[in-house]
Amino acid sequence: MTTPKKKVIIYSTPTCVYCKMAKDFFQKNGIEYTEHDVAIDLKAREEMVEKSGQLGVPVIDIDGEITVGFDPDHLTHALGIKS
Amino acid sequence: MQDLLILGGGPAGVAAGVYAARKKIKSILVTDSFGGQSLVSADVQNWIGVKSASGYDLAKKMEEHLRAQDIEIIANDLGLRTEKIRGGFRVTTKKGKTIDAKNLLITTGSRRKKLGIPGEAEYDGKGVAYCSTCDAPIFKDKKVAVIGAGNAGLEAILDLLPYAKEIYLFERGEALKGDMITQEKIKNDPRVKIYLRAIPLEIKGDKLVNGLRYRNLADDSSVEMQLDGVFVEIGSIPNTDPVKDLVKLNEFGEIIINHKTQRTSKAGIWAAGDVTDVLYKQNNISMGDAVKAVLNIYDNINKK
Repeated sequence: MTTPKKKVIIYSTPTCVYCKMAKDFFQKNGIEYTEHDVAIDLKAREEMVEKSGQLGVPVIDIDGEITVGFDPDHLTHALGIKS
Repeated sequence: MQDLLILGGGPAGVAAGVYAARKKIKSILVTDSFGGQSLVSADVQNWIGVKSASGYDLAKKMEEHLRAQDIEIIANDLGLRTEKIRGGFRVTTKKGKTIDAKNLLITTGSRRKKLGIPGEAEYDGKGVAYCSTCDAPIFKDKKVAVIGAGNAGLEAILDLLPYAKEIYLFERGEALKGDMITQEKIKNDPRVKIYLRAIPLEIKGDKLVNGLRYRNLADDSSVEMQLDGVFVEIGSIPNTDPVKDLVKLNEFGEIIINHKTQRTSKAGIWAAGDVTDVLYKQNNISMGDAVKAVLNIYDNINKK
């Protein structure tokens, strides 16, 4: 049984270790994602602040559901990953 | 019942796990993450044997080294509380597991101290930041404050310098602390302004941070300043929660240990690393102290 693919966006900076952990997590679980580097992409920075009200990375958007920070348990649940 | 339960997966916990496994002590390690507080460091240059590496890469190497050992690991969880049971201890984890062990080694490290002023919690992640390596790039062309002039505060300024427009360093004491080599780097930059004897009182904002009110001790005035971000770097508090009612703590809340054996005031509980009253909080020291603890635990088990 396959669940419909969810659209995953991560807002990150190059130096953010929790962003790296989140991306490693996506790769390990075969999750496709779009990445916006908010250190250089100022439009994405605005978008991130607007969506999340946050000025901190990572911000992760899963089908419009916003989470801040890296929480593997939450991502596993939100992405429907079978452990 | 396990022979040894190790709480924590920083340098001390991992070193303890490796030594315990090699000594064939039946052990289990519980941690919510690996690598400790250096995890977020962009570049660690004092890990002996490694000239330069990111905290993340070191953390992965530590986890890999531990996972290569014959030791049970419970990751993504942490010890919450401990009760004394017959012949040992019972630890309950955040996810509700209970683990029984004859001996405990506490390597839970420490966490960031907060300012505890109005606006700090409200604007956490909305301009109030605790990880300069993570969040400095978001403050491009912004005006930011760094609170605390120890090494962590000075390094936060170094992280911010490539991005921020102006940086205000607030220190309650009369002088900068932190390493001279870093002090010189920041003092020579015209974008850094240093406010000594200044105490933050309130973080202000609308949707995001837009100001800071502080007390200037020189004339006891209260001053408001407009800015976009506040990086808090005022030290750390030890994570003693799982055992705080069982072992003796000092005035800073650190676990008091025998520095020869790493034993705490409670028989059967050892501690190592930043959670203890060790004078110098360093990765290399935490690892060595954890090794001392495991060797002492091993001697103790085999004496019986």
